[in-house]
Amino acid sequence: MISRTKSPTSSTVQGKAITPPRRGGHSKLTQLILAFLLLSNSLAPAAETAMWAGSPSRNQVSAEKNLPTQWDPASGQNIKWTVPLGSQTYAGPLLMDDKIFVGTNNQSERNPKHKGDRGIVMAFNAADGHFLWQSSHTKLKAGRVNDWPQQGVCSTPFIQDDRLYYISNRCEVVCIDTEGFTDGENDGPATAEPDTTAIDADLIWKYDMIAELDVFPHNLATCSPVGVGNLLFVVTGNGVDEGHVHIPSPFAPSFIALNLQTGELVWESDLPGENILHGQWSNPAYGEIDGVGQVIFPGGDGWVYALDPQSGELIWKFDCNPKTSEWELGGRGSRNNIISTPVFYDNKVYIAVGQDPEHGEGAGHLWAIDASQKGDITATGAIWHFGDKDYNRTMSSVAIHDGLLYTSDLSGFVYCLDVATGTPHWKYDTFAAIWGSPFVADGKIYIGDEDGDVAVLKTGKKLELIHEVNMGSAVYTTPVARDGVLYIASRNTLFAIAEK
Amino acid sequence: MQMRSLTLSAVFILLYTIPAFSADWPSWRGPLQNGTSSATGLISSWSPDGENLVWKSEFIGRSTPVVLDGRVYAIGRTGKGIEQRGVIACFDAGNGAKLWERDNLIFHTTIPFNRVGWASLAGDPETGYIYAHGVGGMLFCFDRDGDIVWSRSLTEEYGRISGYGGRVHTPVVDEDLVIVSYLNSSWGEQVPGRHRYYAFDKRSGEVIWTAVPGGRPLDTTYSVPVVAEINGQRLLIGGNADGSIYAMQVRTGKKVWGFKLSKRGINSSVVVAGDKVYAAHSEENFDTTSMGRVVCIDATGQGDVTQTHEVWRRDGLLAGYTSPTIHQNRLYVIDNSANVHCLDAATGAEHWHHNIGTVGKGSPVWADGRLYAPEVNGALAIVQPGPTAATTLDLDEIYTADGRLAEIFGSPAVAYGRLYLVTEAGLFCLGDPDAEFVVTAFTVANPKEQAAADATPAHLQVWPTEILAHPGAKTKFSARAFDAQGRLIGTVKAQWALDGLVGKVDNKGKVKLDKATGGQAGKVVATLGELQGSARVRAVPRLPWSEDFENVAVDKNPAFWVGAGSKFKVREINGDHVLVKPPAPFGLHRSNVYLGPSDLKDYTIQVDLLGSKKGRRRPDMGLIANRYTLDLQGNHQRLQIRTWAAELRMAKTIDFSWDPDVWYTMKMQVEVKGDKTLIRGKVWPRDQQEPEAWPLTAEDPLPNRSGSPGIYGYSPVEIHYDNLKIW
Repeated sequence: MISRTKSPTSSTVQGKAITPPRRGGHSKLTQLILAFLLLSNSLAPAAETAMWAGSPSRNQVSAEKNLPTQWDPASGQNIKWTVPLGSQTYAGPLLMDDKIFVGTNNQSERNPKHKGDRGIVMAFNAADGHFLWQSSHTKLKAGRVNDWPQQGVCSTPFIQDDRLYYISNRCEVVCIDTEGFTDGENDGPATAEPDTTAIDADLIWKYDMIAELDVFPHNLATCSPVGVGNLLFVVTGNGVDEGHVHIPSPFAPSFIALNLQTGELVWESDLPGENILHGQWSNPAYGEIDGVGQVIFPGGDGWVYALDPQSGELIWKFDCNPKTSEWELGGRGSRNNIISTPVFYDNKVYIAVGQDPEHGEGAGHLWAIDASQKGDITATGAIWHFGDKDYNRTMSSVAIHDGLLYTSDLSGFVYCLDVATGTPHWKYDTFAAIWGSPFVADGKIYIGDEDGDVAVLKTGKKLELIHEVNMGSAVYTTPVARDGVLYIASRNTLFAIAEK
Repeated sequence: MQMRSLTLSAVFILLYTIPAFSADWPSWRGPLQNGTSSATGLISSWSPDGENLVWKSEFIGRSTPVVLDGRVYAIGRTGKGIEQRGVIACFDAGNGAKLWERDNLIFHTTIPFNRVGWASLAGDPETGYIYAHGVGGMLFCFDRDGDIVWSRSLTEEYGRISGYGGRVHTPVVDEDLVIVSYLNSSWGEQVPGRHRYYAFDKRSGEVIWTAVPGGRPLDTTYSVPVVAEINGQRLLIGGNADGSIYAMQVRTGKKVWGFKLSKRGINSSVVVAGDKVYAAHSEENFDTTSMGRVVCIDATGQGDVTQTHEVWRRDGLLAGYTSPTIHQNRLYVIDNSANVHCLDAATGAEHWHHNIGTVGKGSPVWADGRLYAPEVNGALAIVQPGPTAATTLDLDEIYTADGRLAEIFGSPAVAYGRLYLVTEAGLFCLGDPDAEFVVTAFTVANPKEQAAADATPAHLQVWPTEILAHPGAKTKFSARAFDAQGRLIGTVKAQWALDGLVGKVDNKGKVKLDKATGGQAGKVVATLGELQGSARVRAVPRLPWSEDFENVAVDKNPAFWVGAGSKFKVREINGDHVLVKPPAPFGLHRSNVYLGPSDLKDYTIQVDLLGSKKGRRRPDMGLIANRYTLDLQGNHQRLQIRTWAAELRMAKTIDFSWDPDVWYTMKMQVEVKGDKTLIRGKVWPRDQQEPEAWPLTAEDPLPNRSGSPGIYGYSPVEIHYDNLKIW
């Protein structure tokens, strides 16, 4: 995906003048989004942004062209470069200007001073994969219940200009300088970093959600935040205790907004409170209807909530599970929570339910929800529903393009549905669990699976497999692309792929 | 199907030969412990609708059955709502008729219902006994008619830690021992949580040895050890929660070698062929940046053999849950994504791999030239392995009554020419329905080889090695010597001493614990020349007893308590000693402490409690009696009675507002009344009169008839306890 769109922001960042966009030549889609956002907001100076799925709507569609259809890591065909990551990689890749960022673990120990299990965000030179610097976090002493071993940083950052925001494995919202210390400055307010060499991260501020809010992240805080205007929206990761018995911190918030510049808490929401079923590992999305914004928060109770971005007040909520469904701890019950990310598209929200893959496969539900309604819209808001027998638990988000919706599930199927009706056109079986999401660009769908296979399918109502290739290790992430280069992070390697 | 086409004489020959090759399946990996069977005439296709389905019985399970002496034994779960429980059931192997079923009540665990029965049963061909290790921590020895020969409550007696994931270790029977392992934290040197092995006398349940081959556990795991004779030494070889593979002498528990493999705990069981051990895992390798490894280890070494005895490794193959099977120099491994890999056992080179689904949890069985490979989403694949590729001959999907794919975590057991498979949707017996059913016993390889009487002792074992007694009790201990190969020399005359115990010991190992000292814990030590062995002894006072902590030293807790470890400590506050449970440094704030024998009943327990508040968090705190917990919940301002935290099947909860930093008194009583228990609880501010009424009562139609008294705490914020009384 392009990984860069325009959105309004305030004119200064920590007293520094905003640097103008460093790259011109925005694609048509970016320009359209830019135009839309500019029309719907005051005419503030534009900032460059990058985030998971490319835009606050989280629709995994890119206008990039000339992307590769044939490559092979085994023979090196069309592999521009590769670079080793940690042993487990769930965040990114994320492109911004000349860099590419990935969240991973510390198995490759790129900083000899940073030993053992840690959460890492690595910055590479996008042109050649050269390692630049990394942000590094030790594990929480609490261990697996709050910070699962070897999972690294699972949060794909949000970038606005030269500030990169992510959630660390320690349940902190972290803001760092995209240039690291290579710009020769230690930007603050945080200036007392213990490590300040050229391969370390330059911390700007940090907001500890455990210390400040008593959040109890279940297994790991993983949210990929989204920033809009001057606000950063975060799912805190609050969840059940180590025995899955109850919510040990029911008064800690699940959804918060922070000031992008200062890291101060702007508001917190007490939804869904004690009703969290397990953990909360999903990401917020943002959309606007007639110029009025709403932040879409997926809840650990299986509901999706639209909140007012400025106040956190509820606009609407929708129960994504059938009323007859039953939650079964750790198993195959019919009630699910939400791990996939909502997609805001054409005044509607598209979201599907799922569970921790450890709980096994099971029936899933995908919804198209009318986001223009208010209150509890469970009974009235569904435009269509797809699932139960036809669709399985999922962690993937949808991609919508040209009247068609592409989605995938934990049982390894990729689907093409009519976006207006939810009527299925086709289904493709990858034969392995899918954790990432379909990425649509250049008339193709790119999708990775747990066996390490990446399938390239043709967009459209007819199923057509263009290419399928094994990357050598599971692909749990979603590809991104720019300038004809496709970037794929397998569990342990980052690939840049381009047809020569 | 194959048999139908044979001539009569061929049928005769086949029937004649089947008994010799298709005998009992006494443990989860079969009589050879490697997941292979020499049975012939097995099916190459079947259907849940009837093809080659000999019988199907109602049962829900997630492990491998045991087939012994014409009977099929399985562990699983049953019941809805208040009747949810574990079960152990026995079926006629010929026709599937259920012969008996025993409840395995689940208590003091956060393991949910759907993960009950993950550990397979173990059968003993010699005695016909069946051993069951359930998620509630009970270890049962049943005879073939389902009568309990003996049982142990591993949680209450040895501080077993259950975790949430449901991973429970399958028992292993060898010679006169039944060996089971688990994570525990109890008292004395067993306070640090470790993956420990306990060997019990298979007939009496007495503890014979305990072993802690590894270091700090990284996960809860379920690698089932394998017994193998290596260089004349009988070894128990298994994966450990610390990420290594260890070999121990099976008769003594003494560690022979260790091999580092993973940065996480090992779940996969090893397979042994000759003097080679094959192990697998799917997490971070301890020495490279990649995940997953299949490794071949030369098992003849000693000490840390990581660097010296690796024969080959295959990195990047992620088989974390299933166990390999080996046949004629080919190792078959199912990875986490349900691909079957066929590796050359001598080199690790891959001949082929073959997909059978999406999630690999059950282990393959090689029999009759085919692989029988379960996939967790309701599938049993029958795969024809070839030299360079494999073919799926048959793949049938099993559905639950409500139309969902049934979970399959176990492997098929192969016995009497049939396959026995436990699933979430029943126990299936697959075979040629027209073939004659012949029960054949498996001849036990049970050498019980002894050392010469004049052999040099290398290990001293004190027997029994762990007991619970009352103050004033007399117990006779014996010392047994073993040679360097771990063979029994015999009972020897040793020097005896007490370590940390008040009492007397004579020169024959007879111990009398001091009566006046009351509750205490320590060791009985035997010395023979350079060798030393010891037994762990707890003395628990008879009821009534009370504890105001005034005589317990600051930073300590009563020595005979199980599970208090470093989690609870006495502190002096305003001149008064109170027991404090601070927030746990490693985030595991939930603890039970067991104060007495697991067969105690008809008692009342009372304690004073105070819970603090910090930020937005408050603790939960309470008491335990008869395997029920009564707790005051801070954040939720409730009072609750339950037995199984993950499934509140009989739980009763009322709103109950209580203040931080105020002392309350809590009282709990359990009455066993015919076929049920009545559980009562009350709480009142300590400085007020005890109320007459019990505001919270619960009734359990699946009664826990006894259980250790205890205290409970979930302490994100500090909890104080004082004036504990049991009568």
